[in-house]
Amino acid sequence: MHTNEHVNYQEQKGGYYKVLIGLLLLTTVTFIQPHMFLQSYTFVTQIMIGAIKAWLILMYYMHMKGETLIGWTVAFAVGLVVVFFAIVITDVGSFQFKTDSHITSQPHIEVNYHHEATEHEASQHDAGHTTSHEK
Amino acid sequence: MSHEYVPEIAIDRDGKKHEVQGWQGDFYGGKLGFWLFMLTEVMMFGAMFLTLTYYFTLHHQDFIDASSHLNRLLGGTNTVVLLFSALTMGLGLLKMRSGDVKGAKLMIWATILLALVFLGIKAVEWREEYTHGVFLGLDALQSGNEHSRPFGQILFYGMYFTMTGLHGFHIIIGIGLMLWLLKRINAGKVSTEHHILHFNIALYWDLVHLIWVFVFPYFYMIGAGNAH
Repeated sequence: MHTNEHVNYQEQKGGYYKVLIGLLLLTTVTFIQPHMFLQSYTFVTQIMIGAIKAWLILMYYMHMKGETLIGWTVAFAVGLVVVFFAIVITDVGSFQFKTDSHITSQPHIEVNYHHEATEHEASQHDAGHTTSHEK
Repeated sequence: MSHEYVPEIAIDRDGKKHEVQGWQGDFYGGKLGFWLFMLTEVMMFGAMFLTLTYYFTLHHQDFIDASSHLNRLLGGTNTVVLLFSALTMGLGLLKMRSGDVKGAKLMIWATILLALVFLGIKAVEWREEYTHGVFLGLDALQSGNEHSRPFGQILFYGMYFTMTGLHGFHIIIGIGLMLWLLKRINAGKVSTEHHILHFNIALYWDLVHLIWVFVFPYFYMIGAGNAH
């Protein structure tokens, strides 16, 4: 859509309904996929279906089809985001504090379920517990 | 109600009236500017998806277990509701461009109604999770107590409430924008010839839909094959 021009509603509404049917079909596939096919690749398959839906929305509902300048602007900006992601993924892949971080290692926090424990028992427990998130 | 376009008027020192030539007259510029704004939204949600993916690689099984407990029926219903709302918004814009301003207003109201349905379903879903003890601030999502969920699940639910909450906030903003759009249409500031505001708000609504297209499988579907 390049200009502020008038359109014929009856002629163009069909396109919107066709995209709606496509999106509904893809949503149905989203629901049945984990139970019917590619069960070992659910995450990747779901994201791929999402990407196809996103493409339909972008091209037809957001009027990107036929847009040149805005299309390249969006592609360039999304490309920058992808580069940023790649750098971050590479960086966190060699995270030097992997064993110390709460996020990258499962924290091991002992819980005192026995509220009646004496102070002496509690102090003994503290002495033997060097770190709260040791691997 | 008349829907004739009423231009913005500025009055100079001598009392002469001039029609303001602003962004309403620059359709392409207005569209390009709004796309740049939407790219900042992509950056914000993109960073969240990146974080989510990283946590998923670290705590794979916890994420799948937590996902399998989410209510897919309600989440799926919301997916369909948003899908139809994108249609009504798109058809509304088409009606505006074709000269049917009254029809366009009806479609905007239909979109607002669907947005409210979405928020209502989301509220029911969050309430259900709260009654099961899974909510921000409750013991299940805090480390170091007897009710604590596994650490990966705490991360999953933290991201789930943050991202669906932020998405819900965008829905509320969208409703506000649509009400403002209706007000501008009634005031004659948006018309068939000057509909860039309508166009951009429709773009915003499609972006909100687009984000949900990825939020839904990321949270609800990754654990769908897990028997529970």
